[in-house]
Amino acid sequence: MSELPFVEVRRLRRVFDVSKPWLNRMLEREQKQYLTAVDDVSFTIRRGETFALVGESGSGKSTVARMVVGLLPPSAGEVVIDGVPINDPARAAEVRALRRRIQMIFQDPYASLNPRWRVERIIAEPIRAFHLSASAREVRERVGELLTLVGLHPADGAKFPHEFSGGQRQRIAIARALASQAEFIVCDEPTSALDVSVQAQILNLMRDLQDRFGLTYLFISHNLAVVRHMASRIGVMYLGRIVEIGGGRELFVKPQHPYTRMLLNAVPDIAMTGRLREAVQGEIPNPINPPSGCTFHPRCPFVFDRCRREVPPLEAGVACHAVAEGRIAAA
Amino acid sequence: MTQPVLSVRDLKVEFVTRRGVLKAIDGVSFDIAPGEVLGVVGESGAGKSVTGSAVIGLIEPPGRIAGGEIRLKGERIDNLPPEAMRRIRGKRIGMIFQDPLTSLNPLYTVGEQLVETIRTHLPLSAGQARRRAIDLLAEVGIPAPERRIDGYPHEFSGGMRQRVVIALALCAEPELVIADEPTTALDVSVQAQIITLIKRLCAERGTAVMLVTHDMGVIAETADRVAVMYSGRIAEIGPVRDVVKRPLHPYAVGLMGAIPSLEGQADRLVQIRGSMPRLSAIPPGCAFHPRCERAFARCSVDRPSPLDRDGRKVACHLYDEAQAEAAS
Repeated sequence: MSELPFVEVRRLRRVFDVSKPWLNRMLEREQKQYLTAVDDVSFTIRRGETFALVGESGSGKSTVARMVVGLLPPSAGEVVIDGVPINDPARAAEVRALRRRIQMIFQDPYASLNPRWRVERIIAEPIRAFHLSASAREVRERVGELLTLVGLHPADGAKFPHEFSGGQRQRIAIARALASQAEFIVCDEPTSALDVSVQAQILNLMRDLQDRFGLTYLFISHNLAVVRHMASRIGVMYLGRIVEIGGGRELFVKPQHPYTRMLLNAVPDIAMTGRLREAVQGEIPNPINPPSGCTFHPRCPFVFDRCRREVPPLEAGVACHAVAEGRIAAA
Repeated sequence: MTQPVLSVRDLKVEFVTRRGVLKAIDGVSFDIAPGEVLGVVGESGAGKSVTGSAVIGLIEPPGRIAGGEIRLKGERIDNLPPEAMRRIRGKRIGMIFQDPLTSLNPLYTVGEQLVETIRTHLPLSAGQARRRAIDLLAEVGIPAPERRIDGYPHEFSGGMRQRVVIALALCAEPELVIADEPTTALDVSVQAQIITLIKRLCAERGTAVMLVTHDMGVIAETADRVAVMYSGRIAEIGPVRDVVKRPLHPYAVGLMGAIPSLEGQADRLVQIRGSMPRLSAIPPGCAFHPRCERAFARCSVDRPSPLDRDGRKVACHLYDEAQAEAAS
């Protein structure tokens, strides 16, 4: 059955306890405080597809990424990858087998590589951990192969991470992700720390590897242009919820949710020299005390009573009362 | 022709290290006219921030200005004694840095910092200075400035803090503002507000702006002219529309093509092979030649000097050749 989505995220929710320590709470007579970083997030990713989550800081996109790879247990909801729910203790053996097929690439290539290990050891770690090669010679050959694949030289394996530039380090991180023959790679802001020309190299490399190995990506970024370039489907997040989800083209050409419209209008873009922009109102509110109803309502130009009371459900790809009631004309 | 506010000629900045002298800036020249926004772009290590620091006289040892001159309204400022430079900084040249938290003192209220800066540079009483500070805060778009003026920096959000920094930079009515990555630490929706604000305030006052950033999108929307820097040199400088839409220098061409755009879907991004050379190993001739698809013999020997072409200046032998051909 090829219709079955490869990755399915169902009603994911994550709450963090951000209370002060017990003694302070007692002395200052404060309640416990909770921050809902992710609330009711659902999406699916087909095999070989790139799905992207975009949003500003604090929108919960990285928290979703961490839950999808299993680095963080969800407070509610589930993540099903290739038919296996990854947080189901009853299927631990299957989950362990699945682990090999899921890898992650992080934003900061300076922090994600062990500075005391040589590159060959970094890349060989998943091969050894999952017992994918029998002999040391095979491991070495495989590492050389992987380095060539990401555009480095096999001899680079003998070097330490500090001898490489940011872009080269990100290549090493990609080689490590591929080392276990991963099929699904979660990329959390993979190019945000890089210069534009290097970013172009890494994005092109990621696409080539996808074509070659049929990789599935979950791509997390705050950069709309990068997302547009990489993803076939996009989810826009705001304060822990997906406010709009759709195909890349539709979303950019005909954004529906007022937040998506605002975001697209706000991004400085090289194609738009000298144009006049509409002023964007306000900033993201504090997620500890989010606004009632639709969390975007204090900044929304189309706000009305219902938005302050009810959380809009995600219907036909948009979570907005005004759109559902047909009060906003299509862009 | 009106006199430029800032005029930089053949500026050279060096850093003396154990491994020899590193040339961070090597022969950079540009002018900024009153009310004009000059964008300075480049990737990390291109020397854009060092250029900004040189103009405000904040090159710290082991760095030093090794040559060239910097003139503010015709007056040389690169060789002024530190005390005289300190008086110019803040008064005639305002500064906006990337991280608003580090440019504000966390121990003083926003009002105290504004009043102090205003009174250092302008002959006003404490009451007048406070009045002026409130006006400025209102002008940069801080709601309820009468109340917020007594808040501490940590009580402001990132975007609001950057607004305070802009107010600080503009409080002494400077002739020139140097904005070094003013929006890089901010979210996109806030970024747009800050860009619009800087642009509007400087246009109203006729303040010249040097906008240093790695974000071409910000430059494309804000700047009048743009200088593309590479390895401490200016590769191309000209009106922003021309340079963005029809860049001439091969590096500028690569850079513009490497940026994913919201419009149009390129299947692959233009890729410039390799990466920027380290300062300790800048290639001879044109610094870009090892990465350039169109390099020829002369590029590795002879350093190109800026040529006038289509209303801009391009440092590339390709255009020199074309000129020679046209002449013959």
